[in-house]
This record gives sequence, C-alpha cells and structure tokens, in this order.
Amino acid sequence: MQLKITDLSKTYSNGLKALNNINLEINSGMFGLLGPNGAGKSSLMRTISTLQEADSGSIMLDDLNMLTQKDEVRKILGYLPQDFGFYPKVSAWDMINHFAILKGIADAKERKEICEALLNQTNLWEARKRNIGDYSGGMRQRFGIAQALLGNPKLVIVDEPTAGLDPMERNRFHNLLSEIGENIIVILSTHIVEDVRNLCSNMAIMNQGQVLLYGKPAQTIDDMKGMIWSKLIDKEQLEEHRKNFRVISTKVVEGKIQIHVYHTSQPDSSFAAVTADLEDVYFATITK
Amino acid sequence: MFKQIFLFELKLWFKKPATYIFFLVFFLFSMLLTSAIAGILGGATSDSNTTINSANAIAGILNGLNTDLIGAIILITIMAPAVYKDFQYNMHPLIFTKPITKFGYMFGRFSAAFLVALFVLTGTVFGHMITCALPGIEAERLGAFSIMNYLEPFLYFVVPNTLLVGAIFFSFVIFSRNMIAGYVGCVALILIKGITTSLLGDLDNKTVAALFEPFGELAFNDVTEYWSPAEQNSLSIPLSGVLLFNRLLWLGIGVGITFYTYYRFKFSQFNEPVSFFKRKNKKEMLSIASVPVHSLADMPKVKQVFSASYSWTQVWFLAKFEFNKIVKSIFFLIVVALSILTLAAVTTQLGLIYGTSTYPVTYQILQIGGATFQFFMIILIVFYSGIMVWRERDAKVDELVGTAPLAPWVLFLSKFIALVLIQVVLLFVIMITGMVIQMYNDYYNVELMQYLKELFGFKLIGLVLICSLSMAIQVIINNKYVGYFVAVLILILLPVAFNLLEWNNQLAQFNSSGPRLPYSDMNGYGHTIFSFMIFKTYWVGFCGILLVISNLLWVRGKEKGFKARLKIAKTLFNAKAKMGLAAFILIFLSAGSFIYYNTNVLNKNVSSKKQEESQAEFEKKYKHLSKTQQPRIVAANWNVDIFPYERGAKLKGYYILKNKSNRNVDSVILNMLQDVDIKEFKFERGATRVIDDKENGFYVYKLSSALKPGDSIKLDIGLEYFPKGFKNSDPGTAIVYNGTFFNSMILPSLGYNDQVELSEEAARKKYGLGKKERMANVKDSLARMNTYISSDADWINFECVVSTSADQIAIAPGYLQKEWEQDGRKYFHYKMDCKILNFYSFLSADYQVKKDKWKSSLPDGKEVAIEIYYQKGHEYNIDRMIKGIKRSLDYYTKNFSPYQHRQVRILEFPRYATFAQSFPNTIPFSEGIGFIAKVDDTDPESIDYPFYVTAHEVAHQWWAHQVIGGNVQGSTLMAETMSQYSALMVMEKEFGKQAMKKFLKYEMNQYLQGRAREGKKERPLMLVENQQYIHYNKGSIVMYALKDYIGEDSLNAALAKYVKAVAYQEPPYTNSIEFINYLKAVTPDSLKYIITDMFETITLYENKVSKCSYSKTKEGKYLVKISIDTKKMKADSIGKLKDVMPNDWIDIGVFGTKEINGKKTETELYLAKRKIDKNKMDIELIVDEEPVKCGIDPYNKLIDRTPDNNTKAFKGGGKESTGSGNGENVTITIGG
Repeated sequence: MQLKITDLSKTYSNGLKALNNINLEINSGMFGLLGPNGAGKSSLMRTISTLQEADSGSIMLDDLNMLTQKDEVRKILGYLPQDFGFYPKVSAWDMINHFAILKGIADAKERKEICEALLNQTNLWEARKRNIGDYSGGMRQRFGIAQALLGNPKLVIVDEPTAGLDPMERNRFHNLLSEIGENIIVILSTHIVEDVRNLCSNMAIMNQGQVLLYGKPAQTIDDMKGMIWSKLIDKEQLEEHRKNFRVISTKVVEGKIQIHVYHTSQPDSSFAAVTADLEDVYFATITK
Repeated sequence: MFKQIFLFELKLWFKKPATYIFFLVFFLFSMLLTSAIAGILGGATSDSNTTINSANAIAGILNGLNTDLIGAIILITIMAPAVYKDFQYNMHPLIFTKPITKFGYMFGRFSAAFLVALFVLTGTVFGHMITCALPGIEAERLGAFSIMNYLEPFLYFVVPNTLLVGAIFFSFVIFSRNMIAGYVGCVALILIKGITTSLLGDLDNKTVAALFEPFGELAFNDVTEYWSPAEQNSLSIPLSGVLLFNRLLWLGIGVGITFYTYYRFKFSQFNEPVSFFKRKNKKEMLSIASVPVHSLADMPKVKQVFSASYSWTQVWFLAKFEFNKIVKSIFFLIVVALSILTLAAVTTQLGLIYGTSTYPVTYQILQIGGATFQFFMIILIVFYSGIMVWRERDAKVDELVGTAPLAPWVLFLSKFIALVLIQVVLLFVIMITGMVIQMYNDYYNVELMQYLKELFGFKLIGLVLICSLSMAIQVIINNKYVGYFVAVLILILLPVAFNLLEWNNQLAQFNSSGPRLPYSDMNGYGHTIFSFMIFKTYWVGFCGILLVISNLLWVRGKEKGFKARLKIAKTLFNAKAKMGLAAFILIFLSAGSFIYYNTNVLNKNVSSKKQEESQAEFEKKYKHLSKTQQPRIVAANWNVDIFPYERGAKLKGYYILKNKSNRNVDSVILNMLQDVDIKEFKFERGATRVIDDKENGFYVYKLSSALKPGDSIKLDIGLEYFPKGFKNSDPGTAIVYNGTFFNSMILPSLGYNDQVELSEEAARKKYGLGKKERMANVKDSLARMNTYISSDADWINFECVVSTSADQIAIAPGYLQKEWEQDGRKYFHYKMDCKILNFYSFLSADYQVKKDKWKSSLPDGKEVAIEIYYQKGHEYNIDRMIKGIKRSLDYYTKNFSPYQHRQVRILEFPRYATFAQSFPNTIPFSEGIGFIAKVDDTDPESIDYPFYVTAHEVAHQWWAHQVIGGNVQGSTLMAETMSQYSALMVMEKEFGKQAMKKFLKYEMNQYLQGRAREGKKERPLMLVENQQYIHYNKGSIVMYALKDYIGEDSLNAALAKYVKAVAYQEPPYTNSIEFINYLKAVTPDSLKYIITDMFETITLYENKVSKCSYSKTKEGKYLVKISIDTKKMKADSIGKLKDVMPNDWIDIGVFGTKEINGKKTETELYLAKRKIDKNKMDIELIVDEEPVKCGIDPYNKLIDRTPDNNTKAFKGGGKESTGSGNGENVTITIGG
C-alpha cells in the first residue's frame, strides 16, 4: 500500500500558501512528519483526511483518489486531529460506542468487543464511566487514538498527538502508537523530534508549506555526519556567531550558550565535533 | 480599569457591521410601522383623531418594537456574548487571571453592551422621526415636534426594559456559562408577559396585571386607556400610579440582578460553572474486559457496514443522541415547567366574557395552548436549530465526526429529526397539561382525538416546516448569530411587515395555511382541511428544496468559504440528490400553481386598496342614480335549497314590489353579490336590463310599462351559489357542513346602495369624493323614510320553504306549516302571520331541540312556545336561556307591549362569529357566547351572560322589530340601548342589585376604551351613529342611572307610551328626538338636566372621596364625616374637556358589613342623593351601625374615568376627622 502525494498545493483565502507543491510517497509503517508550528503539517493532514480541499495536485492511496473519493477514504481512515474535544457530559464508554456506530460497526456484539478492547488497550477501561470532559490531557489523547483505531483503519493520521503531554503520558502514547501494525500506513505529525526518532521508519520535514527533506531518520542522520559542530559561548557572542556561521540551534548550559553549527568542515578549533542526531538534522533543515 | 474595558468593548462593537445592521432593522421597521399608522403605505385608508407623534403614539410604537421578541432576540445577541465570548473561546482562564478588577470587567462589559443595545434601539426613534418628515402625511395627523415625546417613552420603557433584559441575559450567562440560560430568562419574561396579559380578561385583575407585566406595556395601557383622542394628542406620559410602581419594580429587579451578579461573581469560581445538580460520584466499576494485546493487529476484527439501511440506523441513533442532549438538559426542563405553569395560569382566565369563564372544552384549551406556545415554540426551534447545527463545532468534535464514514445526509437529517422530535415532546406536554387542567376543573369530556388531530395533525406540520427553515438558515448562513437573526427576521418580522404592507397573498407568507376555520363543536374543522393540506404541501415542497440545498452545503470539515462549500456541494450533488431536488421543486410548483389557480383565477384576491378604488369608482359611476324612485318590497317568498355538504344553495322566489310613492316608477335597480350566479331576474310585466355590471353586482332594469303609484309588480328571482375552489384567506362561513347561517342581507336589494360608498374621510379625499357624514342628521326627513336596517322595504309578508340534507333541520322566521322528506332531503315550510321587517335568516344544522312554554300572567294569558335548537353536548346553559326567555317575556309584556309572535326560538350557530342576532321569532346565537359558559351560581358577582344575551335578543323583538328608528343618527338608541336597558332590568329582577355592579363596571370600561379609539366623532347618546361603545356600553350606564333618577315605573310607563305611538309605523320613521321627548315628559324639572347631560351631551365626572372619618356619638350611633371632590366636565367630539360647575344630585353612601351565611357581605347603611353644587364639599351624617366604607356615587352610575376612588374605606375607627379647615368647603349635616 502506498500513499502518493503529487504536486499538492493550497492557498488560503488570506493569501497564505499552506501547501506549496508537496510531493511525498508514504508506504506502510509509521511515517513522521516533522516541522515547526505553522509549517503546513495540519493542512496536509486535513487534506488527506478529507476535511480540506486542495487547489491542485493529487493524493492517491494505491488506486484510490483521496481528493475525490472522500466517502471511500473515510471508510479506511483513522484520524486524530490536533485540536479536538468531545461532547460535554458524555462518558468515555458512550462516546466510543457513539464513534463505533458512526464508523459503521453495525453488529452490537462486535461493537462491544472492539470498544472494550480499545479502551483496555488505551488503559482507559477503568475510567470508562467518567465523562470525557473530566479526563486529563493524556487520557484524552489516548481516547483519541482509541477512536481513531475503531474499525480496522488502513490509514491512520495523528496530528501532534503528544503536544502538552508529560513524559510519562508521552511514553504511554508512544507505546500505543508502536503497537499499530506494520501493514497499515500511520502518519504522525509532530514538532517533537524525539517522537519521530522513537517511532518512525520514514519521515519528512516540512516548513512554510514545503517538504524540505524526505527519507529514513537514520539515513538523514548519516547524511549529516561530520557537519555539525558545537561550541560554548557567552551570550554576547551569539550575534557575532550567527553572523559568521549557520547556527542551527542554541541551548543554555550552565549560564553559557551551547550552539550547534552546520558546516561541512570544522569551522575553527574552538568548535568541537558532535555526533549528529535527528534534532540536528531537523534544525539544519528548517534553518536552511 | 473600567474605562479601558468599557472603551475597548465599545470600539469592538462599533467596528462590527452587526451593530449597524441591527440599528437599521429597527430603523426600517419603525419607519414601516409609523408609515402604516400614518396611512401612507398605500393600504386601506382609515380615519383617526390621533396624531402619530404624540408621546402616547410614540410610546406605543417603541413598546411594540422593543418589548417583543424582536427586541429580546437582538438584545440576546448583544448582551449575552458580552461575557459568553470568554467562555466560548476558552478565554476565561486568561482573562480572569489578569490583574483586572471585578468591577472593571463586569461593568465595563455590561455598560458597553448596554450602551450598544440602546444605540441599536434608537433606530426606532430615528425611524419614527424620519417618517414624520415624509411627504403625504395628512397635516392633522402630525402634532408639533417635541423631543420630549421621544425622550419620555425612551426613558420610561426602552431604557429600563433594556436594562432588565440585559441584566437577565448577562447574569444568567455568567452564572451558567451557557447561552441557553439567557434564552430561558427571555422565555420566562415573555411567559410572564403572556400570563399577565391573559389576566386582563377579568377587570378585577387590571391593576395586578399592570403592575407585574415586565415591560410596562400593560401599566402604560392602564394609565392611558381612557384618554380621549384629544388627550392622547396632548398629554405627556404620567410617571405615576401603577406605571411608576411597575417601572420601579422592574427597574429594581434589573438593577438587583445586576448587583447580585456583581457580588456573587468571583473570577476564581467562574473557572467552573454553577452546577444545578451536584454530580454524584459514580462508583467506578472495576471489571476486567480483555487483556491488552501487544499489537493492534491482534485486535478483535470487526465488520464495517456502509449500506443505506445502516445509514438509517445511524440517523436514528444520532437523532436520539441529539434529542437526549436537549431534553435532558436542565434548561429544557425549566422551559417546559415554565410553559406548563403558564398554560395552567392562562387557562384560569378561559374565554372570559364579562368576567365569566367557559367550560374548559378541548378547543378552548388548545386554542389558548396554541396561542401561548406559538411564539415560544418558534424561539425554541430557532435557538435549538442553531445549537444543533453548531454542536460538533462548538464541542470541537467536528473533525472526528467529519472524517467518520457517514453518508453525507446522515448528520443533517438526524439533527432535523431530533428537532422535530422535540416539537413532538412539547406538543405532548401541551396535550397532557391540557387534559390535566380539564380534569382539575371537573371537566371530563376530554376529546383525545381532537387533541391528536389539532396538535399532531395541524400544528405539527407547521412546526416541521419552521424546523426545516430554521435548520436550513443555520446551515446556509453558517454563522450562528446571524442565523438566529435571519430566522427571526423571516419567521417573526416578515409576517408583521407583510401585514403592515397588506401583502396578503398567502403564497408568499411562509408556512401559510390558506383559509382557516377555528374548530367548532358544531362543524368540527369544517371544509378547510383540503386547502390546508394543499398549502402545507406547497410549503413542504419549498422546505424540501431548502433541506436538499442545505444538506449539500452542510459544513463537513474545515472549509468555511461559500465558494469552497459550493464546490464540495457540487461533488455531492449526485443523481439521488438531483432527483430529490427535482421532486420537491415539482411539488412546490404544482401545489403553488394549484393554489394560484384557486385563489387568483377561480376566485379574486382583492387588496384593500383595490377594494377602495372600486368603491370610489362605483360611487362616481352610479351616484346619480341614488335619487331614482324605487318601489318597496312588500312581500318576500322563497324556496331555499341548502346543500350543506356542497356548501351551496339554490334560491328561487319572488318579491312583490309596490310603488308607494306618488310618481311613476320606470326602472328598478338591483344589487346582488358578485359571487352569486343570477339565474333569473324576471319582472312580471317585462323589463329590459339597461345596466349589467357584474363587477359591481349592480343591475338596472327598465320596466316595459311604468309602475303607477299604488301599483304592485312581482319580481321572480333565481339564484345559485356554489363555492369555486378556495380563496386566499376567506374560508366562507355562510354555508358549512353543519351550522349554516345567512341572512337576507345577501339577497337582492333595491336601489342605489350608499353603504357601498367609502366612509373614511381620508379615503374620500384621496379619491376626490365629497364629504360624507357617517349618518344622516337626526332630523333628516328624507333619510327617515327608511329604517336604519333596510332601504328598500317597510313591513313585509314573509313565507318560505327551506330544504336541507336529510340529517339536518332547516329554519327560517315564521311558523312551521309542514315538514316533509323528498328525494333524500328534508323540507320545511315556514310562514309568518304578521308583518315583519325585511330582515330574515336561514339556518341549517344537525340540531337537538329542547321545547318549553311560557304562559303570560297578564289577563290575556297568552302562550308562547319556546324552542332551543342546539348542538349535542351543549346542554350546559339551555335552561338559563329558557329562563331568560321567560323572564324577558314576563317583563317586556308587562311593561312595554304584547309580544307579536307565538314563539321564541334560539338557534345555535358555529363560533365563526360571536354574536346573537334577533330575527322575527328567531334568534341565531353563536356557540361561542354562552353555550359553553360556566356560570358560577354560588358567586353572586358571576355574570350569567347566556341569560343576559338571551334577554337582550328577546328585547329586540320589541326594540327593533316593533319600534324601529329611521336611517338617521340616534336610531340605535331605540334598538340597542333599549334592549340593553330591558335586559338589565330582567337581570336585576333575577339576580339582584349587587350583581349589576360588576356588569356595569364592564360596560363603563368598554365605553371609556371605545371613546379613546374613536376615529371620527364621539357623539352624545342621542345622536349615536351606530357606535357600539355608545349604544351598548354607555347606553347601559345611562339608562340604569336614568331609571335610578326617575324611577323604573315612570320610565317604563313612558316607554310603553312611546311603543304604542310608534310601533309598526310606516315612514317617516321615528327618531331619538321623539323618543327623548317621551322621557322628558316623565322627568321632573329638577332632574331635567340629566337628560341634557346623559343624552344630549357628553358628560364626564371625576368624583372622589378625599377624606373620611367617623366617631361614635353619645347615643351609640356613628357620626360620619366625608370630604368629597367633584368635577363635572363636558367633552366635545374628540374628547376636549371643559369644566362645568356641578349642580347635580349625586348618591352619597355609607356601607357596613354583615355576616350573611358566614360570608362578609357589604350592607348599605345610608344611600341618598344629595345636591352637589361645589367642587369640594364636606358632608356629615349619622348612621346606626359601624361604617366601613363611604363614597360619592358609590355604584358608579355616573361616567367617571377613575371609578375606584369614588369610595374610600375608613382607616381605623372612632377618630375625629383630621381637620376639614378648607375655607371653601361647605358642610351639610344630614340625619340625626
């Protein structure tokens, strides 16, 4: 199964170019879409999820035209939007059952089984009678993934699922995502590099509506080998360094500032070589 | 802090186009309303004595526009979001933690919204001002411009009402964080208004109702309702009395709510809303389901179904979900509880006539329930449709639901069904409440089928249509508040605007029902069901189109732009959608053209303006024929075949026409209704038709040989009437399935009929016609050649055969000669044995008959047969009517003259009209005014109006059918006023003096209200121009007082003399001058002034007890001191008053109480007429028992606009009068 996005573009009525000629090929497995806020990730996600129209281009899932055959797309789609809520004063159990019916799970027994299984899987079984409105952020996200997984979706899209979660919840969430089978396509959009590193076999980095980088995380790190240099400087020196080098990230360490610089060779002796990680790849890509 | 927030909010509002749109709406609507009142809209023209820019008129317009829903809804959209927006956008944690003061936040927001609301409402003021400057308004309709005329109503009503409504929305929303709370507040106010208004049915509740009505409208009415036109034009609004209290009360409530909110409001608390029900801690059941799996691939496999049939399951599931969300909310329960309470409250005032209610028959309950709930259900639909359409987006679950594999119509349809289900629930609530109310009132004839038919048949269709429209608006407009606004505009404002503009074509009025008949126990829903269904089909087609379109435009996803939505809609517009749309368009067009064919082709739909034009044209064209000498009808003989189920009739018969003049008659003018087919007009000796104007129903025949003085001629007439299809709005009630009633007014009449002429002065001017008095001068000898009810006959012989369907009885005046059946029809032959007026009627219905007999106690021992023809089930008051007939015959034969007939018949007819009418020996009597009256015999004050109406109609057998005045001013004095007097006397004999008090109070009220609304000239009683408030209501009071002054016996002696002199007279007919002369003859000189005051002029009094006290004398008696104020005034025709010095004999009374049968009852301790010849007088008198109350004119025999202050209760007792040291006061001591 392959999701193929070709020349996808979208401009909002206020003139903002949300998607600028996107081309991507996404195969089964977990795909990470990395980018800063406002990069166009959500626009892309929504377009794939039938919630938004594209101005031009196409999205094909094998032979399925995702831009025109929306009804068909929805039958195989599991979607967890970035910003969502639930009906007030509805319990988790009623809500999941509600979604199960919306997803067309007609058989009452099957419905009960899958709902039970999903609540169990997401560790919400014991809290199933509580109103979702009273759930913590992590529980809500887990519930969100539970509903997205209803009805054996072939394409699962999760948009910034870990934003705002504490490390524990994030771990739990990662575990959950990692359980999703290898034979379906999972697109995970995030601005947290760690999520992608932990979970994804393929990734793309987006900024300002464009895909800047596309590949396997390990491969991209490999490509960056020997090009990232680190240095501890004083605050006052930062401006000067920015002028002279391509500073891709800064971090405060014990009152001083540690900068990472992208350079094909060691800029000077004050810089120390660092082993590039995905974060460096990310920053290097979006600061291009 | 306050300043910043206030200014910030204000700026925000004034940047929004909505603010100006609202302003514009008020502005335009005010212009429309004012233009309509000013008569420049081009509709019907009517006369008025009032200016359109007096404080009184402006208050009326401002109140009309602001206190209704329109105002409330716009206020919601301004006031409620003032705080709600923080919750809606989840801003409250941010804002409430900012270093702002509570005062600054609350009052900043509130004052800004309040100010904006006031700005929007000034639209009415400016709209009015601009309209007054428009050309075309008659000069006399415009008073001098005065800014105070605008300021007063604005300050007294608009400002406090806005504050009240605003405070309620503001605080309800702030406490509940839910917009619906604001709506509930609004509903509550409107229901309170409904309840208080319904209380007005009983005059005793007037003050209470005025005090508690939230918007001050009733209070305003209470202080101004008796203002004469002159006063309405000149007086400013008095902020005193009940109006002041009302305004203070509700302003207090408004301010109170605001400050309560202020003190209770805490930023911290409002992170969580106030919860009405503390949520119980649900025990979490720890049960083990399945063990978590390691890969989701191991999850249980499920089958997904995407079939159409499962889509329906989903629709039903979602509809239930949506339905539960609404009906299980606390607010819905509050609203339902409120409406049950309202219905219960309103039905206590069921169909009050003279303060007496009716039995709670099902149609009454349904009618009141329907009216009470009408507006309220519309608001609910409008609001809930917004809530439903926006539910997913408001809960941010829209993206989840949007990506679910639902068929594109499932969500929209489910919401629509849920909205309809809610209406079903509300209708069910009305039904159950109605039934409980019926049983609570010991009324067990609960007609379940009628409930079901009315509520779930007729009512529900309309509600479903409103649901569709309002859902469609929400979807298409795609902005909740703008959607509300547009929905209200279409559902509430547009009908009002159409009405003002007199655009009456029902094809253009959303949810119209075509011609409608109210439910009648006699005729059920009658013949309008078919047209009703057609009209509803038409609207179903319309709404279907809307539903299909809005389903296509349903927002699923994040595309908000209309263009993008249109693009998506195109992809959804598949064959099925196309077929659906085509089907609805077909239904819409075919039903529409069928309606058009019926209402505009088969029948004419004439606007009132067109009507006026043709009237003017008629007059211009034929006025010259008005002097053409005509013969008189001297006999009428009819064969009338009534076909109730075809709603038609065939009439064949003849008139005998006699030339009573001393000139030859060579041509005859005939008038006939346009709807009726003329089969034959055949003159005995031949005639040629020279004018054949079917348009105007005007025909002139030239006789082959002139009719010589004294000669007679026979005119054969053949007529046929069968309705063609249905009309735009007139259901036609003359011939119906059960309860046919029509009178001779619709039969051919002779001569140029000046009744057709335009009567409104303004209209006549517009069409260039000369002035026309409403009635000919009392002394006009030419006009006196006709009676005031017929211009082509004097006294006639009458005979007829009436036939009807086999299950009905047909009736006409006269005595039954023969009754037979032939060809499945029933025939009745009636013949009158004496001369009657040219005024008779035909009735047919499936009647029950109750018979009785009256035997005169006079020497002649005459017997009169009594027959009551009534609808089965309406037995309640038959005996009261029979008693009424007997007592009337007793009194009238004894005091006036013998009864000319051998029979009195009362015949019930459907409540399409609510009157009774007296024909010779025949009294048609509406089912709506007495047959279902619930008279409380245990309450001496309860007015037995079936008895009263009967007595009045029987009296007409004398006063109209024996004595009839000429066609001039004052003639209804001898018909209507005298029938009122006669009935009053019969009632007084039967029920006692005390019972008259309440009756006369109603009469006084009606008279005073009537003169306030006079558009032409108020006339003295003697010159009454068929003005009901004068000849009925003032007549009652005047004649009752006259009887009191000169004594019943001498008054009746004068009346008997008069009857003897003028009964059955030939032209010229009597007039009120002759009549008054008989009264004068029996009035002592000292009282002659009352004839002048009561009959010849308009006289008003302002009598009042200003102070009173009493003390015990040595002899154990009581010395009473009363200070009285008397003002006597003469009014001109528009109510300009002139003070005159009193020199009158007026009742002074002192009252005590006695226990009679365990009930405290008022007793007269002293009552006598005293000469009052000063404006202020002190009176001392001695009574035997302890006094409780005293008064001047305590029984309100004189016309007085504040009758309540005529009496005053003593405060405490035994104290000396508190100084009567007023120098000009004169003290009279009476008794000893």
